[in-house]
Amino acid sequence: MTLQTLTDYTLHAPWMPRLAFTPKTSASRGDTLVVIFLRGAADVLNLVVPHGEDAYYALRPTLGIPRPDDPKSKLRTLDLDGFFGFHPALQNLLDAWNEKQLAIIHACGAPDESRSHFKAMELMERGVDDAKGPATGWIGRHLATLDTGNASPLRAVGVGEMPQRSLSGTVPVSALRSIADFHLNGDERAVAQMRSALDTLYSGNDPFSVLGQETLGILDILQKLDPTSNRPLSTLQYPLSDFGLALQQVAMLIKADVGLEVAAVDLGGWDTHFAQGSTEGLMANLIRDLGDGLAAFHAEMRDHMNRLTIVTMSEFGRRAAENGSLGTDHGHGSLMMLMGGNVRGGQVHGTWPGLGSAQLVGPGDLAVTTDYRDVLSEILVKRLNNPALADIFPNYQARGLDVLK
Amino acid sequence: MNLSRRDFLKLTGLVAASTALASCAPANRLLAPLANVAWPALAAADFLALNQLTFGPNAEERVRFSQIGLAAWIEEQLAPDAIDDFGCELRLRNLGTLGMSASDLFDVSDQIFDNVDRLKVPQELRQATLLRQVYSRRQLFEVMTEFWSDHFNISTEKGDCYYLKTVDDREVIRRNALGSFRDLVWASAHSPAMLVYLDNQANTKGAPNENYARELMELHTLGVEAGYSQQDVMELARCLTGWTVKEHFWRGQFTFDEKVHDLGAKRVLGLEIVEAGQAEAERVIERLAEHPAAARFVSTKLARRFLADDPPAEIIGKAAQTFEQTHGDIRAILRVILLDGLDPKGFQKPLGSVPSKYKRPNNFIASALRALNAETDGGDAVQEYLLRLGHVPFNWPTPDGYPDRAQAWQGNLMPRWQFAFALAQNEMKGTQVELPKLMDTIGARTFEESADQITSLLLGSSLGTSARDELLAALRSAGADETESLRIFTAGILASPAFQWR
Repeated sequence: MTLQTLTDYTLHAPWMPRLAFTPKTSASRGDTLVVIFLRGAADVLNLVVPHGEDAYYALRPTLGIPRPDDPKSKLRTLDLDGFFGFHPALQNLLDAWNEKQLAIIHACGAPDESRSHFKAMELMERGVDDAKGPATGWIGRHLATLDTGNASPLRAVGVGEMPQRSLSGTVPVSALRSIADFHLNGDERAVAQMRSALDTLYSGNDPFSVLGQETLGILDILQKLDPTSNRPLSTLQYPLSDFGLALQQVAMLIKADVGLEVAAVDLGGWDTHFAQGSTEGLMANLIRDLGDGLAAFHAEMRDHMNRLTIVTMSEFGRRAAENGSLGTDHGHGSLMMLMGGNVRGGQVHGTWPGLGSAQLVGPGDLAVTTDYRDVLSEILVKRLNNPALADIFPNYQARGLDVLK
Repeated sequence: MNLSRRDFLKLTGLVAASTALASCAPANRLLAPLANVAWPALAAADFLALNQLTFGPNAEERVRFSQIGLAAWIEEQLAPDAIDDFGCELRLRNLGTLGMSASDLFDVSDQIFDNVDRLKVPQELRQATLLRQVYSRRQLFEVMTEFWSDHFNISTEKGDCYYLKTVDDREVIRRNALGSFRDLVWASAHSPAMLVYLDNQANTKGAPNENYARELMELHTLGVEAGYSQQDVMELARCLTGWTVKEHFWRGQFTFDEKVHDLGAKRVLGLEIVEAGQAEAERVIERLAEHPAAARFVSTKLARRFLADDPPAEIIGKAAQTFEQTHGDIRAILRVILLDGLDPKGFQKPLGSVPSKYKRPNNFIASALRALNAETDGGDAVQEYLLRLGHVPFNWPTPDGYPDRAQAWQGNLMPRWQFAFALAQNEMKGTQVELPKLMDTIGARTFEESADQITSLLLGSSLGTSARDELLAALRSAGADETESLRIFTAGILASPAFQWR
């Protein structure tokens, strides 16, 4: 056995397909993009409530969020535009909305009708219509097609324990759970020896060695950061949750100016078949986690908002009618939120398909009137300076939405 | 004093637990130290095969394997009851909740010390899982137990699953891990933990809940591409109305509640289901468990576990055929996959000696502990690394189970390096390796010999002289004496690219 066989995993790492195309565009770095995936199919009808639709209340006699002017309820929809309103747990997000740095694109989604979480998430993260498309992720292809002159190992991170599928591709991407934990701990000389061993072991040119080198590079960068500094000046606190922790890591990386271009963050738990609650309960807590996290991030990053775009997505929506166990089953249409200094904010965009029985699709689901790729394409072109949409979303012709400046 | 039934059970549970603890102390002393066995160097293909069949081979398995060869070793492992596993069982003896009934588990975990006790049952299950992966001599059985735990994933975070999963692990997964697929699906469908996890206890007449019905077809049997429809999901959900879990008396037992069962005929996958109460869904389950799509779906996943992320189509085809012929005999299917896939003399030689699978985090951790003959309690300190690596047992939230492809796990190297560094230096509470003793066993005298033997232990055979010297030079350049260097050398091999693959 040679050191080569010990370290060289070129042939054995099929997870990293060879670059099928070289970067096509050189451009200056655009915004930092934060992609938040609400895993489990968020019930968007209770997130951004169509309180102007009587059908909504007919479909959801117990789960419906009371109208903004409902005198019988203390907790009720927070009106946005006379027709849509926020779930009351999104209270803290109203500042961003009122400052026109937050927009909603309602009835968004993908064409896939499997109503399978796993299939829908996979297709969406790959940015493809069916299994035949490229195995890499849409963010991975974005990174591969755009040369921003940025060699930072932190060009893209997946926050958490596993890099998201959307990030996979030819540019190695690491998962980062906590900046404070990202170091080798112990006796100084032992650490130096370990470092020396790792440098030797991961010195190859194969993708796995490159991934190791990137990890070592991140270690070097993060060692210089003090995770206890940079406390937010804002009074808004991050929720004490994995999501809150994740956004704090992203904020810290952006402020430290370490070359972060894309961060992928997950918020799971949205598969609310059972007892999801209405203004309070299981789903309200998730919504509060989301809203408070985004609001704290917005408050902390106020000075950076002109160079930041945050987008949320979910694999599909849920059935318009509540089920018999105070929950909702798998549906179709979802929504996306956009936050940032260049968002056409304070508006609900998209075409509202309605909730009448003739307007619902399949077993009674919100229709999709905007493809999620339309939103992402506009971000890529306008905010990330990447025109290579044919590579990123193959066989898809994006439709202009004008949700961003 | 008047004791209620529950108080009584709490007390007996506690007494049983403390008795177990007391009687276990001398047993634990008997266990330590672990016997060190000299390990033979293995041919690359043999080391690879043994890695696929275990959570990483230890010295004892290397000896056995080199004595009897692949085919006999597999046969031996396919009959786990005939393998003496007393050493592992002793280590589990103070985990008193493993053998308890659902209602006893509820009683011992409910409110004695407020919420603290809610954590006890799943913690013991996690600890037991790691201890079995590290110490059980029934390695293939443990690999299959993990495989089915992912296939029929249940998170202990969901509702009453925090105590019901212990019963599911024992009565569904472990009881059927090498039995028939039909029995496994059947048991899982009647498992209170599964019914709670996928909301079927809320699936009632006029108010259907599709969650379990969908995943029973999509994830447990047919696979998403099998061509069933939304209508099939809704009709199977109707069949499953009333499949629920008892509360109060006989808490945590399966029950069929006729009062909430949706009457009338149903039609699932073209099958006319006449009104028959509980037997309606059971008829569908029989059909699903033997469906050709299930044969293919399960064979593909099994081949992925043992051979490669994208396993050879020929082997999948042959395994699926065997599945259909044997009505889902798991042993028979495994023989096809393992002998054809791993034996260089098999009908095809897809793998040769090249590692094809990225070790999942628990595989990485268990393989390090096993190879180095570590003494571990499987407790909090080592579980913390599973947390950082995103692989705590029974903690995957969604019903698809922990992923089994390299792509999902690559890109989180740091916690692996941290584990390697802490383990080799004995800086992990509750876990110890004794490198000097290992080196005595193998008779390594010089530092170079020791380095070669460590590499052989962890990677199957020694590094070439030049590679070893290059690595040693790197360590020396950072300045160290030899004892210290051997520890870092070991940490380096554990952290190396090669050790991440199997």
